[in-house]
Amino acid sequence: MDFAPVIEGFGVVLQPQNFLFCLLGVIVGMTIGVLPGLGPAATIAILLPLTYTMEPVTAIIMLAGIFYGAIYGGTVTAVLLKLPGETSSAITALDGYPMGQKGQAGKALGIGALGSFLGGTIAIIALTMVAPIIAGWALRFGPPEYAALTLLGILLVATISNGNMLKALVAAAAGLLLAVIGRDGFTGELRYTAGNLELSDGLQFVPIAMGVFGLAEILYNLEKRHLAQPKPIKVDKVLPSGQDLKQSSGPMARGGILGFFLGILPGGGATVSSMVSYGLEKRISKDPKRFGKGAIEGVAGPETANNAAATSSFIPLLTLGIPANATMAVMFGALMIQGIAPGPQLVESNPDLFWGVVNSMYIGNLILLVLAIPMIGLFVRILYVRSTILAPITLLIVCMGAFTISNRFFEVMVVIVFGVLGYLMKKFGFDPAPLVLAFVLGALLEDNFRRALMMFEGDISQVAGRPITLTLLAVFLLVLILPVVLKMITRHKNLNPLSDSSTETEETHVR
Amino acid sequence: MFWTRRTTRSTTLIATGAAVALTASACGGVTDGTTDADDYPNENIRLTVGQEAGGSTDLIARAIADEAQSALGTSMTVENQPGANGAIATQDVASQEPDGYELVLLNASLITVTSLVVDEDEEVTLDDLDIVAGLSQDDYIMVANADSDIETVEDMVQADRTISYGTTGVGTASQLAQLLLMEEADIAGNEVPFDSGAPAMTAVMGDQVEVATVQVGEAMPQIEAGTVKPIVVFSEDRIDYLSDVPTAVEEGYEIPISQYRALALPAGAPDEVIETLREGLEEVFASEDYQQFNEEHFLTPAELDGEEVEEQWTEYAELYAELVEENDIDLGGDD
Repeated sequence: MDFAPVIEGFGVVLQPQNFLFCLLGVIVGMTIGVLPGLGPAATIAILLPLTYTMEPVTAIIMLAGIFYGAIYGGTVTAVLLKLPGETSSAITALDGYPMGQKGQAGKALGIGALGSFLGGTIAIIALTMVAPIIAGWALRFGPPEYAALTLLGILLVATISNGNMLKALVAAAAGLLLAVIGRDGFTGELRYTAGNLELSDGLQFVPIAMGVFGLAEILYNLEKRHLAQPKPIKVDKVLPSGQDLKQSSGPMARGGILGFFLGILPGGGATVSSMVSYGLEKRISKDPKRFGKGAIEGVAGPETANNAAATSSFIPLLTLGIPANATMAVMFGALMIQGIAPGPQLVESNPDLFWGVVNSMYIGNLILLVLAIPMIGLFVRILYVRSTILAPITLLIVCMGAFTISNRFFEVMVVIVFGVLGYLMKKFGFDPAPLVLAFVLGALLEDNFRRALMMFEGDISQVAGRPITLTLLAVFLLVLILPVVLKMITRHKNLNPLSDSSTETEETHVR
Repeated sequence: MFWTRRTTRSTTLIATGAAVALTASACGGVTDGTTDADDYPNENIRLTVGQEAGGSTDLIARAIADEAQSALGTSMTVENQPGANGAIATQDVASQEPDGYELVLLNASLITVTSLVVDEDEEVTLDDLDIVAGLSQDDYIMVANADSDIETVEDMVQADRTISYGTTGVGTASQLAQLLLMEEADIAGNEVPFDSGAPAMTAVMGDQVEVATVQVGEAMPQIEAGTVKPIVVFSEDRIDYLSDVPTAVEEGYEIPISQYRALALPAGAPDEVIETLREGLEEVFASEDYQQFNEEHFLTPAELDGEEVEEQWTEYAELYAELVEENDIDLGGDD
């Protein structure tokens, strides 16, 4: 392959301005991400307005920084408070929190930072090689292929989501319905706008994400934090020792590769991969009893895996324009605000941007590693700022950001309505991610399916008969049937390879 | 319109900066009403754009705002208020004081084409606005894949098969132009609407549709790269940027369609204010930077005065309504 654009991408990132914003992004991301409950999706949604006025490349580079910072922020809270920022670091709490209790919080956070860095690195190298191949098929991806792909995406999102599957399906269905509002792009007719011109283009994605992820989390946390004020834990000796490294290198390598492949799949790849990595390490460990009581491998493996997965989930977004999880959906919104259409054309039409983003992830990871280790102590203090001070500030940023999307008060109302909705969803045990993802994917599915039918004048056999479409539909059926078949097999043999780790996961779920 | 181009936006702000900017623009909207038309303009002028930042309408607004300081002696800020093809922004500006501090950049298609699709209560008319001057003309071109056997409109007529064509959406000039061409040339066409120009171009390049009509600026890079070939332009006269491409009109089809843009303010503005703005615009038109901007974006200057614009747009609106009626075509929308 041609490496010139890759090298040029590094040139883009290392421009002083871009580098500075990458740095700033990591710091701000870590600052917000360290607040319990605020995972990467919420953090990016809240901080999105900061990037409106920037050059596209700079904006995305900063967002990538925020992304990494926020993921690591989640690790910090998982270790110190057993309150993971999002479900993908829930596994980290299993052994990270006991390590903290034993006075090894620094060690856990240090190895977590190193693992995140390695995981990100492995995934970025793989992404660099894979992305152009996928982009090479770009022109063969027409409306029928997109329709099949989004259909698969919605299924994965609704089924591999965390927690109750029925509730996830309900949330996804609500998201699909919300996507219907606005002018029908094919007939020009208005749907469910109640005569309101503001709704004629449908609901905007970003205010919904800001409401459901940002505002809802703030409300939810206010309640939670009111109930339990955390007590400080001392963090020191962050640099891992030689012994630690020796113990962690295997889990990290395995976690990184595992995470990369699972992350490409739509539907919470990061969470699944950290669970699988934890299960794997426990299984092959000589002394599995140590797990759950502060085993360093139990932090190193999953942390590497979830970061590798988080990075590889950029692949479907940047090369196909399909967001694989909630965080990527917010990223999708951010790109659209910048006037960039993520999709097969991006690598060719905008190589600067594509490789700039990919390489900024690399630099972002490096900055994170360098920053996190000396500054963990500082970030931990944010945990103890009163929420009466933090919540109003965050709220102000969110509302301001919503207004600036199109300079309409209407969007602020959307944020508030969806904030309350998201809060209620969380309270009643609904994961809001399927709603948001189905909202994005629903519009894509409807448009592309109808467009595909129009291409072939309504002949569905021609739509489904194209080779890529047919393959995707086959995978769709497989995903639909496989869990049922597996369940039947496991019930038959009464054996579940993941049962150990998954039950323990349930306990640590803060949601 | 997600698939918009975007070039330079140099300001980089952080949270506090954004807050300040917001407050500032909010204050800018409140003029105290005592401003005298004689010393106009003495404060910031707000130019509202009904399209997203980065699209061609937005870029034109920013090119004008860049020159405003030297031409008018005051700053001009561009504010995007996208929605309903600019109807929201236009209605919003039309309801403001006609003191010259609230301007809107109008797309002719909102008046001439969108009105064919939307309900009456959504319709925007020129009655609520005074037009300062016309700006430029943005043209539409039909392209086909480089490997296609279609070179001309005549090839499409002779092809004796259904030609699938991509449009940039319902109620757009791209849709209207192609519907009319298929009808007038008696070609069996199959309409496939996309969200905007970029995906329609991609569909032509990937052979998902045979032809598509997009704005010249959107097609130019691919025409130059040789991945698509130009078939016909829909402007009244041949355009300078592609002088060897025939127009639909000279091929014998009465389809003169271009996107025109103009600067407008709420109706009832004092003559002095309109005159000052007009003189300012003249200076903008004369500036080298602005002329270069037009060339870089394949825009043809159409710098008419307000009355001419009103006349021209009203004529086009009537012509399109007539053509739609005559050819019995349906652009969609509630009937």
